Formats: sequence, C-alpha cells, structure tokens
Amino acid sequence: MEGSFAALSDWLAASIRLAAPLMLAGAGGLFTERVGIFNIGIEGAMLVGAMAAVWGSLVTENLLLATLIAMLAGGLIALVHAYLTVTRRANQIVTGAAINLFALGITNLLNTPLYADFKYRPRVELYPVVAPAFLQKIPVLGPIFFAQPVIVWVAFVLPFLMAWALYRTSWGLNVRAVGDHPHAVASAGLNVFALKYAGVIISGLAAGLGGAALVLADLGLFAPNMTAGRGFAVMAAFVVGRWNPVYVAAAGILFGAADALQLRGQTLGLAIPYQVFVMLPYLLTIALLAGFVGRTIAPKTVGETYDPEKL
Amino acid sequence: MKERTKIILPILGDLVLTGGRPVLAILLALLAGSAIILIYGSDPLQAYAAMLDGAVGNRAALANTGVRTAPLLLGGLAVAFGFKANLLNVGVEGQIYAGGAAAAAVGITPLPVPPWLHLTLAVLAGFLGGAAWGLIPAYLKAYRGVSEIVITLMMNYVGIQFASLLVHDPSPLAKPGAFYPQSPLILPSARLPVLIKGTSLHAGLILGVILAVLIYLLLKYTPFGFRTRMTGQNPEAARFAGVKVRRQIALVMLISAGLGGLAGTGEVLGLKLALYDYFACGLGYDAIAVALMANANPLGVILSALFFGALRAGAGKMQVVAGIETPISQVIQALAILFVIAIGFGESRRLARRLRREEEEEEEVLADGG
Repeated sequence: MEGSFAALSDWLAASIRLAAPLMLAGAGGLFTERVGIFNIGIEGAMLVGAMAAVWGSLVTENLLLATLIAMLAGGLIALVHAYLTVTRRANQIVTGAAINLFALGITNLLNTPLYADFKYRPRVELYPVVAPAFLQKIPVLGPIFFAQPVIVWVAFVLPFLMAWALYRTSWGLNVRAVGDHPHAVASAGLNVFALKYAGVIISGLAAGLGGAALVLADLGLFAPNMTAGRGFAVMAAFVVGRWNPVYVAAAGILFGAADALQLRGQTLGLAIPYQVFVMLPYLLTIALLAGFVGRTIAPKTVGETYDPEKL
Repeated sequence: MKERTKIILPILGDLVLTGGRPVLAILLALLAGSAIILIYGSDPLQAYAAMLDGAVGNRAALANTGVRTAPLLLGGLAVAFGFKANLLNVGVEGQIYAGGAAAAAVGITPLPVPPWLHLTLAVLAGFLGGAAWGLIPAYLKAYRGVSEIVITLMMNYVGIQFASLLVHDPSPLAKPGAFYPQSPLILPSARLPVLIKGTSLHAGLILGVILAVLIYLLLKYTPFGFRTRMTGQNPEAARFAGVKVRRQIALVMLISAGLGGLAGTGEVLGLKLALYDYFACGLGYDAIAVALMANANPLGVILSALFFGALRAGAGKMQVVAGIETPISQVIQALAILFVIAIGFGESRRLARRLRREEEEEEEVLADGG
C-alpha cells in the first residue's frame, strides 16, 4: 500500500515535469493558430530553443539569460515562418516542414562545435527547486508541485497570463477575430499582418521557452533531435484544449501523464504495452477532430492564405 | 526597342522563375552552404568536389545515391499526387511504417507460390498497408469535411508506435531476443532484386521511376487524372461538371497514402530486409520537401529526389575529406526549400499584378469605347 502510494505520487510528479515543456509551448503556441497560421515549425523552434538554452547557459552562466536566449532563438525561427507564410503567402505546412528540416540540420551540425571548448560535455546548471523543505514534504502535493524546478511554476502561471491576454484585452479580441474573420478585422482598420506576425512570433517564443524547459529542467545536456515530436504533441494539445491557453496546458498535463506512464509502465507492472500510452494523445486528437467525442472547432481560417484584396 | 524589352523581360523572368526556380534555389543554398563550410575553416570548392565524388564518383557512390533516392522518390510522389487534388498528405511518415509493416508481414511468411508472386504480394501488401493508413483521413476529409492536415500529422505518431508494437515481444511479427527490436528477416523470395551487384541498390528505385511516369501520364491523359486536377483546382466547378468530388478526394487520399506505404515497402523489402523499430527517421517529412521542390510535378519529383539523395550520399565523403559533418546536407536541403518558397511568391505576385493591369486596361478600353 505504502509502495503503490509512493509510486503514484512519483508518477504524478513525473507527469508534471514532463508536461512543463508542453504546457509552456502550448499556452503560447496556440496564438499562431488563433491568428490563422499553422506552424508545424514549433517542433523545430523547440529544438533550436533547447540548443540555444544550453549554449546560452554555457556562455552566460545565467539561467535567466539562457532562457531568454532560447526564447529569442525560437522567436527568430518563427519570424522566418511568419515572413514566408504571411508576407510571402507560402504554404504554411510546407514552410513549417522546411523549417523543421533546417532546425534538425543546424542543431545536428552545431552539436559538436557547441561543446568544442570542453573535453567532456558538461551538464549545464538546471532550474533550481526553490520551495522551502517543509512545503516539499507535504504528502502528494509536495513532490508534485513544490519539489519541482521553478520552470514548472512558470508553466502553471503562463497559461493564465496568456488566457488573460487572449480573453481580457482588446488586443486579444483582435487576435481571436483575425483567425476567424481577417477581412472584417481589416475593414475595422486594424493591421491584419501585424496581428498575424505577433501570433506566429509568440508561438516561437513559447516554443523556445518549452525547449529551454525540456533541457534545463532535467538533463542539462543537448542531444540530437531531443524534442522527438513534442512540437507535434503541442499541436495536438491545441485541439484537445480547444485553443484556450488554460485548457491547452491541461491537455499538456494529460499528455505528460501518458508519457510518464509510458516510462513507468514496466515498473508499475502494467500489462498494456508502452506504445499504447504514447499513441493515446494522438488518438484522442483524431477522435476530437473527427467529432467522435464531442466537437472542437478550430479558428476558421487556419491554414488559409490571407490576401487583403481577395474576399 | 522599348516594345522588345517589354516582351523579352517577362519571358526571361518566367523562365528563371518556373523552370529555373529550383535550380536557382539550389545554387543559393549551395552558396549559403559554402559560407558554413568557410566558417568550419575548409575550402568550399574542395568540400563540394568531395561531395560530388561521394555521390556519383564511382559505382558504389552511384548505388548509394540510388538507395537514398528511392524512398524520397516514392514518398515525394505520395505528397505530389495528393497535392494535385489540393490534399496535403503530411502523413507519409506514418504510411511508411504502416506500409513497411504490411510488406514485412507478407515478406516473412513462407507462401507456396513462385518467388515473383511472393514479391508482388508483399509489395501489394505494402501499398494496401499505406492506403489503410489513409482511410481515416480520406473518410474524414471527403465525407465529414475535416482537414486532412492535422489528421495525417497525428496518424504519423500512431503509425510509428503501431509498428513499434509489432516488433516488440508478444507480437507475432517480433523476432524474439533481437538486440534491436525488429521482425525476422524478409524471406529471399520476397526481397526486391539488387540492381548493381555488390551494392545495396534495389529495384525500389525502378519502381519509383516507373510510378512517377505512370502518375504523370495518369494525371495528364486520363479522365481520372482530369477529374483529380479539376477537384484540386475548383471543386465547385468539378461538381457542376459531374465529378463525384467526395469520391475523388477519398480515392486520391487513399492512393497517395498507398504510395507513402510503398516508400516504406522499398526500405523494408529492398534495403533493411526486416521491419525495424523507428526505421524511417523522418523520411516522410523529407518527402514533403521533395514534392515541393518539384512543384508537385511527378517527373520533377524524380529529379528532386535524386538531388536530395545525392546530397545525402555525398555528405559522408565530404565529412571524410573536408571535415564538415554530414548534417550539412540537411541544412543545404532545408535552405534550398526555403529559397524555393521565398522565390516562388515573386512569381505569383508578378502574375497577379500583370492580370490586374490587363483587367484595368480592359476596363479603360471598355470605358473609352462606351
């Protein structure tokens, strides 16, 4: 009984830790689809963000700066996506695929030079656990919430900030409108292009932050292709969370829980093969999109090219 | 004089932008690549010479290029074919696993049939396996109006894990006690024949070339092809012309997914000779890039797959000679695509401007006449 209780609380704690990158990238990432742009380049932006976080940490030896550098790198990748898809009206999926290929190539290429000055690959400093010891000792809640690196707390705060921006500010109203009715937004005298750029770039900044969380919360080392499809899981979370920052983050926790279960399946003595848990988030997304379980409605013009002269 | 430049300049421009567009993009990408090579402290010319040598320098190099071209060609065809009906099949990665698994299932099973038939059945199974992976997106797109993009994307991860499930222990397809999760070896009767002795270049490449030509002809000269293109360009008009648009969309999606399955089939029956866990490593996403580079022209896909294949094959030699690591090939590829995308818009904008000007001139003429 004691053992299974410990295993449960260990699983929940791991779920949250694994969910943090998805929550961060998801809560900000959904802005790209809110403004009507598919950005599968979130995967690439996370990967580049992860490497930039390690590089930033090695160079500045400051976690906050390293995190900002990671966000900047992700934002830069997204800026390219915004330029090609919004200004140059390129196909959003094809552009995103090219950006992912570029991100994979450039991080693989830079992986050796990144550590060139070091004989052994050093693990960079991790996000600290800052809660006082007595809080960490609270049963269940302690390990799940307090004995976590501070980035996990950020992952819990950011979705609410993003939801506030999206639902409680006039800018957020414009963002929500531009994905559904860009021409109406334009005829109201607002700058559609600026809104679209902002949405895409926010998704890149968030993806970079997610990448930083991925590498600086746990491992402290960059590994080739270490995102391994998490960017696509983030896109799945948009669907499951109905493009609402708080729900998307909740979907991220759900996916993190599936991931943690997958890693712990054998020790917990589960009879279900781990692959089933890895599949679950994606199956859930397909079922939701298909309308088999409830219905989720995407921003109306997502994926379409905006041409101001064509109604 | 003025008249002549007015005519020649657009023609020159169109030549560069349509036929020469990918070539220009590749040149720009190679140029950007040489900047990276310079940063590495190597000589770009020497590095590229090594790459060329590694891609086409001798029999083994050519075979290596062919081996890498085959899955890109089949996968690229899958994306290009879908694109003709305005379908974006982002799910080739998953279809590769589904097709590869189906082909492996037939390929490891001893059948009381002649070898050519065993191979044919295995290849057919691969196509059907891929097509099966296209069933859900095909149904949802055609009959429920759900975009195929996110669905096919999500199906990738289901496919990868599904194949993984198949090569792990309790599955009948798993080889017990294998060091890396895999199926038993494909039986010799179901293997794709080797084209150049002593290399691993297999008939998957030939299959790809034949299919590229067939699809080109199908799209251009048959009623089915016409219906497909019409569905892609203007579904409303197609419906008025009597095309069963829903059925056409579903069929194209299924065939596209089947072609994706063949990309996996070639790898399993020709190169890896077993179904391995995670064997595709992103080939399905590269296929999108291959199709784009060819502007979704099936014959163009042959060339763009060849370019990507050669780049990959040559990267190894480049690493040995010039000390640039092999991912440089991915970077050059990605840059080439990004340049194609960036140049591409110029064309459409120019076209739009010209159309608008003509319209305005027409209106002026009409106004003058009235």
